[in-house]
Amino acid sequence: MSAATLYGLLACALVGIGLYGLAVRPEPLRKVLAFNLLGGGVFLLFGVFARRGAGAGFAGDPVPQALVITGLVVSFAATALAIALVLRLRDETGDAALDAGDGKAE
Amino acid sequence: MSASGGFLLVLAIMLPAGGVLVAVATGGRIARLAALALLPCGLVLAVAIAALIRTGGVPLEYRVGGWAPPLGVALRADGLSAVMLLITAIVIAGIALFARDYFPADAPDETERRAPFVFWTLLMGLWGALNAVWLGADLFNLYVALELLTFGAVPLVSLDGKPDTLRAALRYLLFALIGSVLYLLGVGLIYGAAGTLDIAQLAAMPHTAPVFAIAAALMTAGLLAKTALFPLHLWLPPAHAGAPAAASALLSALVVKGSFILAVRLWFDALPGAMGPASAQLLGWLGAAAVVFGGAMALRQQRLKLLVAYSTVGQIGYLFFLFPLAFGAAASDPAAWRDLAWTGGIMQVVAHAAAKAAMFMAAGLIGEALGHDRIDGFGGLARALPVTVFAFGLAGMSLMGLPPSGGFVAKAMLLTASVAEAQWWWAVAILAGGLLAAGYLFRVLGPAMAAAAPGAPPVAEIPLRRQAVVLGLAVFALLLGLVPLRPSPLLDIGRATPPLVLAR
Amino acid sequence: MSGALLLAAIGVPLALLAGCASEAVRARAALWLPLAPLPGLAAALLAPDASVALPPALLGIRLSLDPSAAMLLGAASLLWALAGVYAAATLGARPDPGRFAPWWLLTLAGSLGVFMAADLVGFYLLFSAVSLAAYGLIVDDGTARARQVGLLYVVLAVLGEGFLLLAFVMLAQGAPHGSLVIRDVVAALPGSPWRTPALTLLILGFGVKLGMVPFHIWMPLTYRTAPAAAAAALSGAAVKAGVIGLLRFLPLGAALPDWGTALAAAGFFSAFWGVGAGLRQRDPRTVLAYSSISQMGVIAAVMGLALAAGDPGAGIAAALYGAHHTLVKGGLFLAVGLAATRRETRVGLFVLVPAAVIALGMAGLPLTGGALAKLAVKPVMDDGVAGLLGSLSSAGTAMLMLHFLARLVALPADAVRAMPRSARLPASLAWLGASALAVLVPWWLYLGVAGGSAAEALSAKALWSSLWPVLLGAALWLGLGRAGLMPPAREGDVVLRAFRRAALYGVLAGARLERADAALRRFAVALVALLAVALALAALSLGA
Repeated sequence: MSAATLYGLLACALVGIGLYGLAVRPEPLRKVLAFNLLGGGVFLLFGVFARRGAGAGFAGDPVPQALVITGLVVSFAATALAIALVLRLRDETGDAALDAGDGKAE
Repeated sequence: MSASGGFLLVLAIMLPAGGVLVAVATGGRIARLAALALLPCGLVLAVAIAALIRTGGVPLEYRVGGWAPPLGVALRADGLSAVMLLITAIVIAGIALFARDYFPADAPDETERRAPFVFWTLLMGLWGALNAVWLGADLFNLYVALELLTFGAVPLVSLDGKPDTLRAALRYLLFALIGSVLYLLGVGLIYGAAGTLDIAQLAAMPHTAPVFAIAAALMTAGLLAKTALFPLHLWLPPAHAGAPAAASALLSALVVKGSFILAVRLWFDALPGAMGPASAQLLGWLGAAAVVFGGAMALRQQRLKLLVAYSTVGQIGYLFFLFPLAFGAAASDPAAWRDLAWTGGIMQVVAHAAAKAAMFMAAGLIGEALGHDRIDGFGGLARALPVTVFAFGLAGMSLMGLPPSGGFVAKAMLLTASVAEAQWWWAVAILAGGLLAAGYLFRVLGPAMAAAAPGAPPVAEIPLRRQAVVLGLAVFALLLGLVPLRPSPLLDIGRATPPLVLAR
Repeated sequence: MSGALLLAAIGVPLALLAGCASEAVRARAALWLPLAPLPGLAAALLAPDASVALPPALLGIRLSLDPSAAMLLGAASLLWALAGVYAAATLGARPDPGRFAPWWLLTLAGSLGVFMAADLVGFYLLFSAVSLAAYGLIVDDGTARARQVGLLYVVLAVLGEGFLLLAFVMLAQGAPHGSLVIRDVVAALPGSPWRTPALTLLILGFGVKLGMVPFHIWMPLTYRTAPAAAAAALSGAAVKAGVIGLLRFLPLGAALPDWGTALAAAGFFSAFWGVGAGLRQRDPRTVLAYSSISQMGVIAAVMGLALAAGDPGAGIAAALYGAHHTLVKGGLFLAVGLAATRRETRVGLFVLVPAAVIALGMAGLPLTGGALAKLAVKPVMDDGVAGLLGSLSSAGTAMLMLHFLARLVALPADAVRAMPRSARLPASLAWLGASALAVLVPWWLYLGVAGGSAAEALSAKALWSSLWPVLLGAALWLGLGRAGLMPPAREGDVVLRAFRRAALYGVLAGARLERADAALRRFAVALVALLAVALALAALSLGA
């Protein structure tokens, strides 16, 4: 098994765990963590492509690495925003359930 | 490819971004002033870019730092970008003028001053992000623009800091993030297979390999989640109904269109032919379900803002008729009909943007004047706020697709294309949607035109100036009805290939 | 000059509508309402074959008149003017006279404009204006019931317009050189691949407007809810948008026997349905509404027979019939309004006698305008079955009108809604004017425009053929009434009750819909849906 295949399988496993967590865990914080796992899986995939050097025929393609770095920044910002919202929601309500009330309460 | 034109594209993104920087650096009052000062500049810029494209007949392009793709990043403005830049500038101008009194600069204490500051800063931020979406020429850059759009939109939902809106914002954020990850996954697959993410380079190479279809499917699904196409609309009603009116207008009119236009770019510009007609039909059917479901749900709402939000769920459905109709059911369909569907679909984007912005702002004024937005308590409204109710009605005409209005033009084009391409089922959905829209809008107008219930609390005064802004946008939606019913030459500029069904 | 008259017919009401933004103009609405339709009347009289095209910036709308359209336009303008006098007289007593006028003017502009529209876009625009602006007139009294009725009306109107829009799209496809002129697209219709769906949708769309069964349910509800003047204008003038629609859009030049026969059958069905259901109504306005359903059915039948025979000359006969109905039906609604707001205990003779003449005139009472209208459509209905059905429907109309007169006499005087004395005189004059014109105008049209001869109209054969259905109807009404065989009173009809039941199920389904929405909007469900969409898109793209 080549390193690229192993990374690819790992990426798939991370994506799977992330999706499972997002679907099944009701707590927003766990959802945020699951999202991070999901994102990690995808970034790993970019790493595989960088390794393979799909781009201009380099041994290690720099473009996916640049993409991953940008993606990490974006995902960090997303996590920060989500955590801020979760904290604020807990301050206001005491718990932070997602499906309760659902904006219908007056 | 003129250099001066390319410079304008950078300005279109950098001006609002600069505004954000100024606002963050100085805080408070300056944010509002900066945003208001940007309005005329942004409008002039959008007009200038559209004029350059129109007269030149070719798209404008700018390569950031002079690097050529795939290593560099390009900005590109074709006819579609020009139209979207224009409508964005117009709607944002309307929203900003409306919000001038909604988010005043001189609130007494610090916490109350925060919401206006956040609003004005994010208004500029969203403007820049939207322009980046309209101008991005590279799928990864578009991902970043899309994320900026989400990050700008989410705090607007929970501007009032109440638990319900916080929850709505969190749901919106989480679901949108899942959409982003799917999109990013697709981007990775495409890069792995093609070695480039530049839209023009992708379009030029063959992409019939299965990996492109899988990538496009993942990206499309992610974009649908951000567009809130039925059945992925979970976040939209509470988020759009819970946000302050000016923010709702921005979210419903423009933000959901960002991911939609990106899907259009993906299907028709970047990977034409990667997705077959069968999946285009699926998008159309989801759209039809959205039209019917959103309309029926809007009919059931007791509160005006929720009604308008569900109306957005329905109106988004119309957009997706663009895919099956611009694709064509058979290769034998003349390109003219597909072009008409293309123009009709984009016209629906534009008309809905203007009409829905007007409608949300009208709903906001109504809520402000009455102190609530329960439809059964609307008696006497037409007499107290004639201009607002009139504007609501005009915007409603466009949503119903009555002539003369932009909504009518869009609907007539889509209907014509669906008849000409013998895909009559979309025609049925379009007409059913019009019927439902008539139902939910007159359910509002009826009580509003009735006399006030005895003992009803007095209706607060709303300055005419603010009502006039809403009326202005509604009239604009109506004037779009003067657009001729034929494929738009402007929208055709830069469409390398008319969307043909390629043999797979 | 003549083109300017056509523009003025629409432009003047629209200009007054724009003027309604100003308080000063709105306050004098009572003055404008009767005057606004007069340019339309002038156009019908002075420019019956004019045409004019607007610049492309205004959608390139074309207006034109021909003799049959001018007939309908003239009669509608007269009625709008008289109803305007009546409305203006009653406006003074309202707390907010300014609210009524804008809706009135927009409906008026659409109602007159639709007779002149010569291209698809303009026709659709003006047809929508007359259909939807009527909403404001229907919900004028502001009650919850009126709002319900108004909502039903709007939904049906939009349904009809949806049919028409789709039909127009198909017509435009079949037309040579992309022309949107109605005459061109209709000429191309018989050979168009879209013939079957386009004709079906046209008949459905105009059928909604004409109140053809089963799309008639809005008529009895709205005419009873709207104020008298508005009911008069809607029932008399606005509904003729459907008649001009059939006139303009049916390819009468080409004989299409199947389509013609089907339309004629549907028309006669409505004609008799209206009589049967109308006889069971107690409110005179509802009786009149069912009579409208019946009369519009007769016009549809005439058009169907003409289409079957390929007889383009039938248009003018149908227009004459429609013009007569405009004045009679509008007038009778004014009569009901006067009777309902009287101060005396009994309905005055100045209401009853003319009402009896023109109501029975609608059944063909000799020497009235109605007899001429029937005479005009006689050539179209000449063959055995159709002629017999036509005469029987006249007998039915006679029964229905006698029933109406009986209900009118029995109408209780309502002291609360009594009309002030100052309003009484102009309102009564409007009514008397309408009834006089209902008798005289058809004579003038018959002799002057339709080319009929007085000798033929006054021949014993013609007199008898229009008299016997009236006598038959009267005998039946009296006989059945005496024998107690009249159907018992019951509001509405089967279709309306079925519709109400369906609406109830709709409400129940709506609750289920909300539960479905709540389920779909749970986070886990939506996530699964998202993945399913991604998988489906991929599978469909790979499988193709």
